[in-house]
Amino acid sequence: MKNLIAIVGTNSDQSTNRQLLQFMRDHFQQVARIELVEIKDFPMFNKPADKKVPECVQQLAAKIDAADGVIISTPEYDHAVPAVLINALNWLSYGIYPFVDKPVMITGASYGVLGSSRAQAQLRQMLDAPELRARIMPSSEFLLANSLTAFDDKNQLIDPDSVEMLEGLFTNFLIFIAITAQLQHAHAQNQKQAADFSWEDLHNSHQD
Amino acid sequence: MKLLGLVGSNADLSYNRDLLQYIQKEYVDLFDLEIFEIKDIPMFNQSQDLTESVLIQNLKRKIFQSDGVIIATPEHNHTVPAGLKSVLEWLSFKIHPLQDKPVMIVGCSYYDQGTSRAQLHLRQILDAPGVGAITMPGNEFLLGRAKEAFDELGNLNDEKTRQFLGETLHKFVRFIGVASQLKEPEPLPEEDLHATGQIATTIPDVDMHAEDWVEQAIEKVKPVKGATYVELDRGILTVDQINALLKSIPLEITFVDANNQFLYYNHNADSAQMFAHRKPGQVGNPIGDCHPARTYKHVQAVIAALRSGQTERVQMPVPTHGLDKYVVHNYAAMHDDEGHYAGVNEYILDIKPIIDFYLKKTGQQLTGGSVDAVSSASQKVTPPIAPQVDAISSASKKD
Repeated sequence: MKNLIAIVGTNSDQSTNRQLLQFMRDHFQQVARIELVEIKDFPMFNKPADKKVPECVQQLAAKIDAADGVIISTPEYDHAVPAVLINALNWLSYGIYPFVDKPVMITGASYGVLGSSRAQAQLRQMLDAPELRARIMPSSEFLLANSLTAFDDKNQLIDPDSVEMLEGLFTNFLIFIAITAQLQHAHAQNQKQAADFSWEDLHNSHQD
Repeated sequence: MKLLGLVGSNADLSYNRDLLQYIQKEYVDLFDLEIFEIKDIPMFNQSQDLTESVLIQNLKRKIFQSDGVIIATPEHNHTVPAGLKSVLEWLSFKIHPLQDKPVMIVGCSYYDQGTSRAQLHLRQILDAPGVGAITMPGNEFLLGRAKEAFDELGNLNDEKTRQFLGETLHKFVRFIGVASQLKEPEPLPEEDLHATGQIATTIPDVDMHAEDWVEQAIEKVKPVKGATYVELDRGILTVDQINALLKSIPLEITFVDANNQFLYYNHNADSAQMFAHRKPGQVGNPIGDCHPARTYKHVQAVIAALRSGQTERVQMPVPTHGLDKYVVHNYAAMHDDEGHYAGVNEYILDIKPIIDFYLKKTGQQLTGGSVDAVSSASQKVTPPIAPQVDAISSASKKD
């Protein structure tokens, strides 16, 4: 059985993205172990010159390292990924590289009709950055629109089409994880490049 | 022209900060650029609303009062850094100070790319409905290899880069002119000129309209007086000393609180001798009592602009005192330590003696319309000889 980490991409107390991940954890428990993680307590990323990454970030990095794949569920704020999720990814690529070659599935829920489409596109671009280099599952958008009315009081997705869609994508993700495992020939090189790209010499100079 | 420069990085050392500092110094003749650091603004969280915090209110006011904003963004993970995005989330949650504000994007990076992707995302974010900025199209200023781009004095090394930056900034100044045509005047909440509400400092159960409001209010709250010491920022004075100080200031000072109640004026002359003929019995009145109803609309507009932070000060010349005077009514917003609106300080003075003093001491003289006071606003048209007072008032409007 696959072990997956599911990142709640918001710090809001009430979040339909958290609800969606909770639903996935329960719904897919026969085929995968999904652990939800929160990023709301990460301090603001500020490129510390000593490159010291906070303990809470290191703990999450270790979990991602150990996991077979990662699911990230993102809301959309101002046509983009929320600052708190950008912050988590900034930290998770600062001298540590847990995302390199890691299979990632992106989901998103929004109150409106667009279902975080722009945030998801931006998140793909971020995860593709040299210092993150995740393996993002291609052609697999799961956009949950009108999310406030999408769940019943037992936290079940109401719309059968959405459930079917999610089941299909999740099955694909498990296959994608297996395929990705075979794409590891350049892993060591990728990890080295991720490390080389970003922070070479930076501690000796201005940072950005 | 007043611009605000947002440093998109919260790192201690930042090329983006260096770039804004260079722009500030190099283009001082084109605009007045204030640099704003975002590093102390906390992470946005919709469950812990900090919109009313001093830091965010302060930034809101600065944006309101600027003609345009320059954002200098680094690029992390192919996008804008979390700190900058967080600021923009605060500025689009409960308040929308960037709405219709002209914005220019610049960015520096350590590598060749020069923040190309971050700038595109930033455009998209600024375009989102809650943010609503008017971002200048085109004219991308991307500074790659920033480490080599500045000399030891903080100047840009490359002549072509300097030239392009200069062209871009000149275009931005013109863009601000164009974009201001798009801006709908923001409807501000109506001001209650009759002070029917109450704030924490309102003295309750005293008739605000009463001639002897002061005496009644004294009975009610027993204020300190005479030789009693009062702690001030910064110093200690007795009430008598505070009175002596305020009366000796050559201004007519009036205090109107956040509830639009007229609470004080520095009573150093009889009503007839004042520019604004305050009477002792007016103190305590709602300001609606002190103005004729036909002026309410105007009074409301001034107070609303000060309360909202749209402006810090409104200046109005009042020409009815004759040609030997130039009397200016100033309305300045007051704020408490938390940055919350605390009312209006109205101070009135005749600036003619100040100008005469200046001219006498410096040996200069007013030359009317041939003064190049308006050339930056319009380079083509030199106004014909104008009366002296006009030259002064148009210059002061640029504040």
